[in-house]
Formats: sequence, structure tokens, C-alpha cells
Amino acid sequence: MLDVAITNYVALSATIFFIGVAGVLLRRNPLIMLMSIELMWNAANLLFLAFSRMWTNDAGHVFAFLVITVAAAEAAIGLAIVVIVFRNAQNVDVDEVASLRG
Amino acid sequence: MIHHVMGVDGTYPLLVAIWLLPLAGAILCWAFGPRLGKLAGPLGSAAVGIAFVLTVLSWGAGTQTAGGALGAHQSLISWLPGFDLGLLLDPLSLLWTAIICGVGFLIHVYSIGYMAGDRAFARFFAYLNFFVFAMLTLVLSDNFVGLLVGWGLVGLASYFLIGFWFEKPSAVAAARKAFVLNVVGDVGIMFAVFAVAALAGSVAFGDVFAKSGGFGTPALLAICVALFIGAAAKSAQIPLHTWLPDAMEGPTPVSALIHAATMVTAGVYLIARCAPLWSKSPDAQLLVGAIGGLTALVGAILGTAQWDIKRILAYSTMSQIGYMIMGVGVGAYEGGVAHFFTHAFFKAQLFLGSGLVIHALGDEQDVRKMGGLRKKLPFAFVAMVTGVLAICGIPGFSGFFSKDRVIQGALEHGHPWLYAVGILTAGITAYYMCRMLFVAFLGDYRGDVDPSDLGMRHPELAGTPFAADGHDEGGHHEHAPAWYMNVPVGLLVVPTVLAGWLMFGGENSPWSRFFAGQFPHATLPAAAIPELATTGIVLAVVLAGIAVAYARYATVTATSGAVARLRDESIRMPAVLTNLFYFDAAIDLLFVRPAQLLGTIFGRLLDPHVIDGGVRDVAAAARWLGALARSFQTGLLRAYALFIVFGALAFIAYYALAGGAR
Repeated sequence: MLDVAITNYVALSATIFFIGVAGVLLRRNPLIMLMSIELMWNAANLLFLAFSRMWTNDAGHVFAFLVITVAAAEAAIGLAIVVIVFRNAQNVDVDEVASLRG
Repeated sequence: MIHHVMGVDGTYPLLVAIWLLPLAGAILCWAFGPRLGKLAGPLGSAAVGIAFVLTVLSWGAGTQTAGGALGAHQSLISWLPGFDLGLLLDPLSLLWTAIICGVGFLIHVYSIGYMAGDRAFARFFAYLNFFVFAMLTLVLSDNFVGLLVGWGLVGLASYFLIGFWFEKPSAVAAARKAFVLNVVGDVGIMFAVFAVAALAGSVAFGDVFAKSGGFGTPALLAICVALFIGAAAKSAQIPLHTWLPDAMEGPTPVSALIHAATMVTAGVYLIARCAPLWSKSPDAQLLVGAIGGLTALVGAILGTAQWDIKRILAYSTMSQIGYMIMGVGVGAYEGGVAHFFTHAFFKAQLFLGSGLVIHALGDEQDVRKMGGLRKKLPFAFVAMVTGVLAICGIPGFSGFFSKDRVIQGALEHGHPWLYAVGILTAGITAYYMCRMLFVAFLGDYRGDVDPSDLGMRHPELAGTPFAADGHDEGGHHEHAPAWYMNVPVGLLVVPTVLAGWLMFGGENSPWSRFFAGQFPHATLPAAAIPELATTGIVLAVVLAGIAVAYARYATVTATSGAVARLRDESIRMPAVLTNLFYFDAAIDLLFVRPAQLLGTIFGRLLDPHVIDGGVRDVAAAARWLGALARSFQTGLLRAYALFIVFGALAFIAYYALAGGAR
């Protein structure tokens, strides 16, 4: 690998992460929101790998696999919820699904 | 007689039987009332009747002096270490027990007739038996604690019986009033018990009286006053007397048993029982004697202004108990107790006689609506005449002997003023009792005269006779008295006439010998007026009273113009008398109103603003917090996501700053 300064990895990761945050906060389509969440997972994975490389410690790789597994499970549940919401409400606008309002 | 030796060593089981028999009767009538039906009357009567027989059988045990102590004693339980409770039968409690069970039995039998047809027949006998049990607890206890328990139970029994017809609001109010005033007395006695237990280390009468010499004058006076508050409440002494006339709301046998013959004399018993305390406290003697005399006089004066036959008798009871209290108060214990003894007979006689009249007239109690009953109810007339002659103190009748003993006793113990009050009261008594007799029994029957023509202005009665209550399911028809109503009245005539002869003969009379060793004896200087002269003076005053009553109500002109006369008297009755000397108003002003004011303060200010207010503030705070938390629950997914972001940023900021500091 080329010697890229660790600060670049951190900056890239933060950028991806906040793109994901902005996607979750600003988009009303649950599919887009799930994709944005994937962005945040992967921003975290990038950091794990970068620091793993920096400290030459393989634990970061293990954590990245763990994150991928959890992200897959999360996507499965999230998509299932989206399907059920669509069946019940005939649309998938998250702002319309607000029956938990106190 | 085997009983002569029983009870000396502290075991006298017969006493327990006497004590508990009425309780057993009460429980049976209470528990099985509906199934017993008509049998409840004979059952209740039998319980008291057997107790009376056992009392008579115990006569020897109660008067024995073997073993150094007077009477028979039965230990019951050890309440606390050093505080043993038991029963004591000495001449004083023997006399009371005999009257309670004897007169009580006659009144039970009478009630079978009087209460026949009442839907709560069994309940009535349960209450009557319970009352007898409570009264026996009071008089048979050998200690102050048992006395206090009996004192309270008697008040409760009285409450039950006055309010027996509880669908009448006036009866309920009267019952409540009697109970509250009696509790005032209970509290007085309670403090006396505390003081006695603290000073003597015991509550048994014998121990306390033996040690009472060391109490000191102020403590003795305080104990006597506290005891007298109890006595005054129970015995209707001024100013705690106002419940007694109202208590006439109960059935007439109740008035005869409780509010004439037995319960109201509990105060007399208490003072006679505590004679060793009183004899050591001249101040207490003066106080009690004066209040007794005042009550005798006030009761008699109020008796002249009443129209309800039972209220006339109620005020006469109050007045006669005033005599008794005056007697035992000044130290003439034998005299005061003697008047209790004769009064129990003639007052029960008068009440039961009035009950015959009331029963026969379909619950009419106003003497103005009576008249001419001599011919209609000759038996009741004879009964009432003997009772009136006895209460007036006509020589030979029972009241003559006992009343003179009290009046002479007041003089002998150095109270000339009370002596004068006693003589004056005797005259007034003769007047109002004869007034009742003449108005109700002479002349023509006035039951069909319009009430307003008789000056009856009471809103409850005016124009609607017989509408005052509705306890009798069969309606208010006139009844012929049953034989079991007449027989007790007839039996009471005997002691009403003859009981006084027991007191004939001064120091050597059976009466004085019976009580030898019971009361402390003081050596007194000879009275300024000899007993025979007192008798003459009293008799002259009494005859004057009768003469005035005769002139006003019994002459031919008086009876022929009775309607107009009674109307005149009703309308011109002085306000001070119709308002009963404003005792009720004064009690209302001094105690009821301040209590209500206190209640208002608590009800309007303290309770809603402090207690309820505190609770409400807590609730309001919880509701406000809830509203605040609810405002975050928008239901919008993206809002929750934003909160998570803020939370995460907060964590990051915290660790970034804190980490920098570390």
C-alpha cells in the first residue's frame, strides 16, 4: 500500500459518515435511508481498517467483518419493516408513519 | 347458707353468672333474633330474672364481713402486673345489682307488651340485655378500669336504645347527643383513672382508698372533679344534663329502665363508691353538693313548663338525681343512696304508668291532648297516683323517707343553703307532678280538641296529631294494655309505697344496718333543726305545692274551662322556660359553634390548601413532567434520528473536551 497519511483516511471516513447522516435526516424514502445507514456502517469500517493497518493489529479486520454481519442483519430487518409499512399504508413516506406520536 | 362462706377467699362464681347472664341473653337475641321471634321477649326477661334470683341468693355473701373485707370478691384476670381486675359484691353493689336486675326484669316483662308488633322486637331485647350487662359491669367491678369499661358500655347501650327507632331523625339526633355528652364524662373518668393509677400504683378500689390519704389535697380535688365530670354527664347534672329530656325519644320502657331507674344513677353510685375520696376533700363535697342542689332546683323549675308527659318525668328525674347527688356529695351517703333506691321504684312506676297511657292513646304524649283519663284508664291512674304521692314525699310513701334523709343530711353536714334549696325543690316537685296528674287524668278527654285551641304551636304537632313517628307498622291505633304490662306496674306499686319504711328508725333502721361498714362516718354536731321539724317544714311546703296545683288545674272551674286555660298557659309561657334556661343555646354557643368553626377552618382552608393542595401539587408536577416528555415523542422517524445525532454529538463533545483535560 502507498503511504497515505492517516488523517486522509479519517477525513474520508468522516465525510462518508456525514453524507450518511444527512441522508437519514433529510430523505423521506426509507430505502434511501437504509442506504444512508449503510454509508455510515462503511465509514466506520474504513476507520477500523485504517487504524488496523496503522497499528499493525488485525483486530480491526475482525471488527469490520462483525460490522458487515450486523449491517446485513439490519438491512434484512429494515427491508422487512419497509415491506410491512408499505402493505399497511400503501406508501413508504416515513413522515406519514407517525402513529407513535405522544 | 353456704354462701356465707363463699367469696371470702376471692372466688365467688355465682357473681360471674350474675354478671354474664344478661350478656348471654343479649348475644342470643342478637344472633338468633329473626328465628326467635316472639320468644326473644321471654328469653331476655328470663336472663335478667335469673340474674335477679341469683342476686337475692347472694345477699348473705354480699353483706358478710368475714375475713376482714366487706362482701364477696371474685378475681377475673390479671390485666397488667399489679393490676388485677375482678368483681366485688358489697352492700353498695348488691343494692345496685338488685335494683338493676329486679326493676330491670319488671321492665323487660312490660316491654313484651309495649313492644309487641314492633318489627325489631328481638333487637330491642338484645339491647336491653346488653344494657343490663353493661350496667352490671359498671357496678360489680372492683376496680376503676372495669368501672370505666362499664361506664363506656352503658353509654353505648343508651345510644342504641335512644336511637332504637332510627328512622325518626329526632331519635337519631337525641341518641347522638346523649352519646357525645356521655363521652365527655368518660374522658373525665379516664383522667381520674390515670391519676389514681399513677398515685396509688393500683386501680383496685380497696388499694386506692387505703392509699388515698397520701394523695394530697390538690390531687384529691382534681381526681374528684374528674370523676364528677363523668358522674355529671351520666347523671344529667348541670351543665351536662341537656341530653336527658331528648333521650325520651326512645321507647318508654327504655326511659323507665335507663333514664330513670338505673343508668342515670351511675353518677350517684360512683360518688358513693368513691366516698373515701370525697370524704377527704371538702372542696369537692361543696362543689358536688352545690351542683346537685342546683340541678334539683333547675330540673324542678323546668318540669313546671313541660307538656310532654315523658319530658315532665325526664325533668323530674333530673331533679331527683340532683337530690341524690347533693346527698352523696355533701357526705350523706346513706341518704343519697336511699333516694336512689326509692326513686328507682317510683320513677319506674311513673314511666311505666305513662307508658300505659301513651300506649293506650296511640303514642300521644302531650298532656294537653289527654284529660279525663281517670275514667278511661283507671289502672294507669292508680299507678300514676301512687308514683306521684311517692315522689312528692307524702308520709308513708317511699319518697317521704329518702328525701327527708337527703335534706336533713345537707343540714347536718353544714350546708344550710342546700337544705333550703332541697325544701324549695320539694314544693316545686309536688306542684309540677300534681299538675301533670291533674291535667292528664281529671276533667274531660281532650283528644278530639283541635291542637291549636290548646295552644300547641309546635310545627311538628300543630294540626297533625299522631304524625310524629312511624315505628308501629300496625298504625297508631289505641291498644288495650296486655296483662304483662299491667302486672309489672302493679308489682312496682308495692315498693313504691313501702320501700321507704326500710329507712324508718334512724341509726337503727334496716337501711343503716345494711350499710354499716360501707361508708366513712364523720362525727357531726347536732343539726340546728331537728329531723322531725325538717319533716314538718318539708311536708308543709309539699302540701302548699299540691294546693297550688289543685287550685290551678283540679277545681271544678279549672277543669271545666281546661281548654282555654291550657291554651292561655301555653301561649304565655315565659321564653326563659320554653328555652329551657338557654342551656342548649349556651352549649351551642360555647362548644358546638367553636367546633364547627374549627371544622370550617380545617374544611375550607387547611384541608383543601395544605393537605389536598399538597397532593394536588404532586399530581400537577407529574402531569407537567409527562407533558414535557410527551412533546419529544413526535412519531416522526427522522426527528428521532436527529435526537440520536444530537446525543452522539454530545457524547463526542464530552469525551473530546474531557479527554483533552485528562
